[in-house]
Amino acid sequence: MPQLLDVYKTYRMGAVEVLALRGITVDIPDRHLTVVMGRSGSGKSTMLHLIGCLDTPTKGVVEHRGVNLGELTSRERAAFRAKEAGFVFQKFSLMPNLSARENVELPLLLRNSTRSEARAASESALVRVGLDDRMRHRPSKLSGGEQQRVAIARALINDPSLVLADEPTGNLDTATGASILALLRGLTDQEKTVILVTHDQGISELADLLVELQDGAVSKREATMRRVA
Amino acid sequence: MSRNLLRLALKNIASRRTRSWLTILGVLIGVTAVVALISIGSGVQKAVVAQFEDIGYDVVLIVPRSGVAGFVGAAASMRAPGQFDPSQIMRRTTVAAGSSSGIDSALLLQQVPALLEAGNLTTRILPVESEAVGGFLRVTSPSASFLEAFSAILGGFVIEDGVGLSDPTSNEVVVGARSAQSLEVVVGDTILVGGERFAVVGVLATAGESTQENPLGALEATQASGDAGDVASLLLRGLSNTDDTLFVLEERAAGMSSNTGQFSTTVARVDIGASVSEAQAAIETALLEQGTPATAISVEEMADSIQGTLGMVEAVLASIAAVALIVGAVGLMNTMYTAVLERTREIGVLKAIGARDGQVLGLFVVDSGLMGLIGGALGVGAGSLFSLFGTDLVGSVLGVTRFAPVFSIPLILGTLAASFALGSLAGVWPAWRAARLHPVEALASE
Repeated sequence: MPQLLDVYKTYRMGAVEVLALRGITVDIPDRHLTVVMGRSGSGKSTMLHLIGCLDTPTKGVVEHRGVNLGELTSRERAAFRAKEAGFVFQKFSLMPNLSARENVELPLLLRNSTRSEARAASESALVRVGLDDRMRHRPSKLSGGEQQRVAIARALINDPSLVLADEPTGNLDTATGASILALLRGLTDQEKTVILVTHDQGISELADLLVELQDGAVSKREATMRRVA
Repeated sequence: MSRNLLRLALKNIASRRTRSWLTILGVLIGVTAVVALISIGSGVQKAVVAQFEDIGYDVVLIVPRSGVAGFVGAAASMRAPGQFDPSQIMRRTTVAAGSSSGIDSALLLQQVPALLEAGNLTTRILPVESEAVGGFLRVTSPSASFLEAFSAILGGFVIEDGVGLSDPTSNEVVVGARSAQSLEVVVGDTILVGGERFAVVGVLATAGESTQENPLGALEATQASGDAGDVASLLLRGLSNTDDTLFVLEERAAGMSSNTGQFSTTVARVDIGASVSEAQAAIETALLEQGTPATAISVEEMADSIQGTLGMVEAVLASIAAVALIVGAVGLMNTMYTAVLERTREIGVLKAIGARDGQVLGLFVVDSGLMGLIGGALGVGAGSLFSLFGTDLVGSVLGVTRFAPVFSIPLILGTLAASFALGSLAGVWPAWRAARLHPVEALASE
């Protein structure tokens, strides 16, 4: 399971140092949905980036499956992101010049898969998120909800153990957001550990574990559902 | 992976179509210039080499040191019979008589055993009159033996209509292609050459040399500079330009030099196995003994000299073209740098889904290299077309029109490889910046 042990993260903005995380310790339960909440600037996205190996802690230990992520080389971190983490962003972050299918294929192509393998896997992933009739469309021809589904399919294409979603419903209307949340929620049934960062209080109801951050520190940790002790 | 990178890079190029094409255009212009200039330059060199090979590297040209002073190389001047006053024009062009080389080629053959054969050739400016027009023309008079042994010096002396010169006892003239047009004569007509009546027995095929300049006319100035090699080269060029010339056997023209300047030269062939340079020295010594100081220049020396000059010109032109190519590469770098700035967030996403720094670097380098390659391929095509159509233009400027541009495989493959390499190189710095981007900072970019 992902673990953060007394983790500090400091950013330098010119001459000013910004302390984003102040010694947080959190255990994220495997195969559950953990919702990380907090106001803007509370450090929730930073926490997600550390767990997803996009960044390294200034101090403390971030572990996943017994591996200290802070000690990995740049190349090993890239490999971790390719194999273990699937990211879903608020702004969808699809490549505008690629079709839905090509966007989903991208992580596989970066891992030296053949084109036919990548195509078969991406089509299957898009079918799973309900976009079997939109595969050839470019992002500009897809609705916000559809784009986010493509992003989720892309996050899942390498069969990662972690799905890390940063404000995945931030750019969607309520109904579309609800369908995306249901999709993410359902991933825990596929043995995925889902960590969802949001400032939307309503989403907390879906969480197996709710972690609230305030000024870079954990202000609340609450197991909200039956499966998490 | 490389195939996947290639596919992604092609998608990127296609996605910013207008900018990509404008960038490619910059490379295309540079490559076009390089290919056109090098292929035309190589064509000229090849033509020059072929010309010298026709003559033979065992041939030595003997140029008298005082031979051309006062030689009048004026181009043809034609007027209607009523307007043509030979005496008036002759006064204007009268020069010191007796500027013939005075080389006795038969004696020379005896003096220098290394020589296989030798012959004299004299060029004069004489009044020429047909029924239609009259004027002054260049009249070249080879000996019958010269025509037999050294016709390559006269551009092959290819007869297009009629027959060549063969009978030293009768007044026969062979006219160059353009002279025949100027004089409005055909085989069978009669014309006055130096006041004597000659029958036109043949018309030469077009030599194709330019009429815009008169190589023989340039001899005067070159002779003054004292460079015998240049004199010989110019002389060869002038002799091979047969279009504006009339040919009369020397045996018939010998008495026509009293009122006009003339220039004689001697051509000798060195025997098989003999040293050309030793023969040259022996010739100069022999001519001193004859009382006719002269410089002997081998065709090989002339070929080296001309090729050296052409090589320098080619190098300078290629350098200028290379500057155009470098400008294209800078444009490419600018495009790639802009692309990195615009696609910072995409780079962040690529890293988030597992792209290594090297893969991001490779993606942008391949992107840039591909644009270089596309520009190079189109430039090779455009340069080839340009040199094919520009050959006439360049030929007329250089005075050599009988050549074709040379498109060698190394030139084409080398240009394509260089275009890809230059394109890739131009993309390295922007790509390196992209690869070094921190994923979190890149994702935060708008």
